[in-house]
Amino acid sequence: MNDTARYLLSRLVTTALIVLGAMLLLFTLSAIVPGDPATALLGPQATPEYAKRFIMEMGLDQPWYRRLFIFLGNLLVGNLGTDVLSGRPVTAIVGAVIPYTFILTFASIGLAVLIGVPLGCYAATHRGSVADHALAFVSVAFIAIPSFVIAIFLLLIFSIWLDWLPVLGAGEAGNWADQAKRLILPTTALSVGWIGFIARLVRSSMLEVMGESYIRTARAYGLSNSMVTYKYALKNACIPTIAVLGMGIGRLLGGAVLVEIVFARPGLGRLIFDAIATRNFPVLQGAVLVVVLIFVVTNLLVDLSYSAIDPRIRRNTTSERAGR
Amino acid sequence: MKNIISRRDLLGGAAASAALAVSSGRGALAQQKTSISVRIDRDVTALDPAFRGGPHDANIFKSVYQRLIKQKDNSAETELDAASELKQVSPTLIEFTLKPGQMFTDGYGEMTAEDVKFSFERFSVSPVDGKVSPYKGDWTGLTGVEVTGKYTGKIVLSQPNAGLYAIALADGSGCIVCKKAVLERGVEHNIKPVGSGPYQVISVEKQRGAVLKRNPAYTGPKPTFEEIKVNFIQDPKTAELALRSGELDFAVLPPAVAEPMRNVSGLVVDQAPGLAYIWLGINMEKAPFTDLRVRQAIRLALDVDQMLLAGFNGKAPRLNTLVMAPVLGAWTEAPVYKRNVVEAKKLLAEAGHPAIKTRITILNQPAYQTMALVAQALLREVGITAELDVQEGGTYWEAGKGEAGKNLDLFMMRFNGKLDPNFLMQWFVSGQIGTWNWQRFNSPEFDRLYQEAIVEADPAKRAAIVIKAQQEMDKSAAFVWLTNDVAFPVRRATVKPAYLPGAIDWQLDRFTAA
Repeated sequence: MNDTARYLLSRLVTTALIVLGAMLLLFTLSAIVPGDPATALLGPQATPEYAKRFIMEMGLDQPWYRRLFIFLGNLLVGNLGTDVLSGRPVTAIVGAVIPYTFILTFASIGLAVLIGVPLGCYAATHRGSVADHALAFVSVAFIAIPSFVIAIFLLLIFSIWLDWLPVLGAGEAGNWADQAKRLILPTTALSVGWIGFIARLVRSSMLEVMGESYIRTARAYGLSNSMVTYKYALKNACIPTIAVLGMGIGRLLGGAVLVEIVFARPGLGRLIFDAIATRNFPVLQGAVLVVVLIFVVTNLLVDLSYSAIDPRIRRNTTSERAGR
Repeated sequence: MKNIISRRDLLGGAAASAALAVSSGRGALAQQKTSISVRIDRDVTALDPAFRGGPHDANIFKSVYQRLIKQKDNSAETELDAASELKQVSPTLIEFTLKPGQMFTDGYGEMTAEDVKFSFERFSVSPVDGKVSPYKGDWTGLTGVEVTGKYTGKIVLSQPNAGLYAIALADGSGCIVCKKAVLERGVEHNIKPVGSGPYQVISVEKQRGAVLKRNPAYTGPKPTFEEIKVNFIQDPKTAELALRSGELDFAVLPPAVAEPMRNVSGLVVDQAPGLAYIWLGINMEKAPFTDLRVRQAIRLALDVDQMLLAGFNGKAPRLNTLVMAPVLGAWTEAPVYKRNVVEAKKLLAEAGHPAIKTRITILNQPAYQTMALVAQALLREVGITAELDVQEGGTYWEAGKGEAGKNLDLFMMRFNGKLDPNFLMQWFVSGQIGTWNWQRFNSPEFDRLYQEAIVEADPAKRAAIVIKAQQEMDKSAAFVWLTNDVAFPVRRATVKPAYLPGAIDWQLDRFTAA
């Protein structure tokens, strides 16, 4: 088995352990947290017999560890359980909202990178200038304002005052233009903080990299300023940014909850939020599992992308594993 | 004079022209509106009358299924719907005849008496797959439906049920489903219902809502709008913005959100007395509240008007008893308790509890939090120190249940109401202690009167019984009635909505162009 295969295998084992740990934690918390799902979901109309049957169908009459085993056993055959209230499989419920979350998350990251990286580069190459100070101020302000506040302001400006963009939902199924139009404001709301964060990160990474000896060497060889900045410095400055973006997927999913609520958009974050509020444990377990998987897989991809960008990392990792 | 058009001017002009074009187009669209968009504040759960999630589901499916009878526009009065005749033969027997030619959608054929039997009996008499409906109480006393012909049948009860028309037959539990479709589609029927009503469900999407289209095969009056989009919008602020931007045509909003919209052009804010009831309850089984004088002291220490001013900006009317004005048995002479600190202190001293430490359990919603803060301050003046226990929904709704309920002190509660006194009274019988009777109000006399009111068919006699039952509640001093809430239906001026008193139950098929 070569190093890459061994590395992948170890990461897959780690992934499985993380998923198991997360589910263990979730089941334990579900058992501890006060609140009766039958009451929260059914309300006053539930007769005692119906509530009892409901609890049995949810498996909540079983101890949590048995529920965990049943859940994991079902998972092996691709079954996330059933939402007892609607009678629908959790896979269908999660499957229906996950595309919206993916689109929103990746559009937000894309926008943040597209704007944040050039801003960071510009600030680094114009260190100490008025523009650098202005960008620093704006970036920190962007980071500090919660995304749902930005969301409300965007709605007020672009939907109410200017009447340019719609307020509600994710658009009509199959109508790409409508869906794209309804993606603009939530994406902007969610990415604003990240634009500031990435700009600051790229700036500081660039400044650090530009002090390195190989940059001085490149300059000494007479390479142009833009060549040095964008070909050599930026490439290396991107590594911490990619790491942060990988970690950021999880944070974005969390931050998306309020944005999804403000824009009445479907999504995984909102699904989890609703499931917690109503103690809808089958949906909660299924949705959390998917989020954990997204998080872990993203981080794995980030790790793999390091070595693609900088072969020295791959060599170092291999050397460390070989004990050299 | 120089007349130079700059690039900025050009862009500005283009943007203004585009905005004008868009706005004029929107105006034209409003005039020929064939589709409207309404808001529900909970996600669609199950479009099945027997297993619905609440009024948000019923508001959709009541325009999809027919009932034997249904309420008239904006009224609690009923008229025939799927039935051509409905006759109360005796207190325990109702005969019906269906109109012929009422077709179920998706090719499921004509509605027959067999479908009526299946629809009503599946609540508890013949539950499908053994699944008894959580709404079986709506059909209290039903022993079965006898099919006497293709279109005729008899609803047989074991005891009279005076609320059957309002609570079951004309409401969500009276909706007639297609037997064949329910059995064939199983859980899929929850989102792909087959009905014979004015609308049919085109799509249901998680966290988005439902889209309804006019049912061309419906034999009754044609609804005004070709399409109704029922949007699930959790956040009232988002609903407000959607109304302001023209994306939403109708929503019922809390006062604080609706009030500022009164002056918005193109919108109309209505105000309707609610049908819910909100009160401060006192656990009669927990010392020192076991002493009647302590409960009376609390009632006298509180100033309901002041609490409502804080919680509802003074927009919600005061409630003095359980049964409010539009419902049979409204106790109009109910005492209106005024704040009396001296008397309250005296009662506490007599009870031997001049200083009490207690807790008010409330749901984490602004109106309750504000009212509880006022209550806290008012109680302090008579020597009662109350700590606020603010809980989120999942935890709160269990606070008064089972053994945990014995430890509850004071709490604020809100129940949705319907136009029947027994529906309102049902949660306060002794059998509900440990379930929804969080006061642990245990009155054999109230229980007796509750049963008596169910079977009393004479409205005047029934009203008298209901008033007596409320007097029992008043004697206990375990209830400080606050308000029956207030609903603010907000709509576009081009749309005229239809809903029953209280604005909880909507009649989507009766929405028209204003």
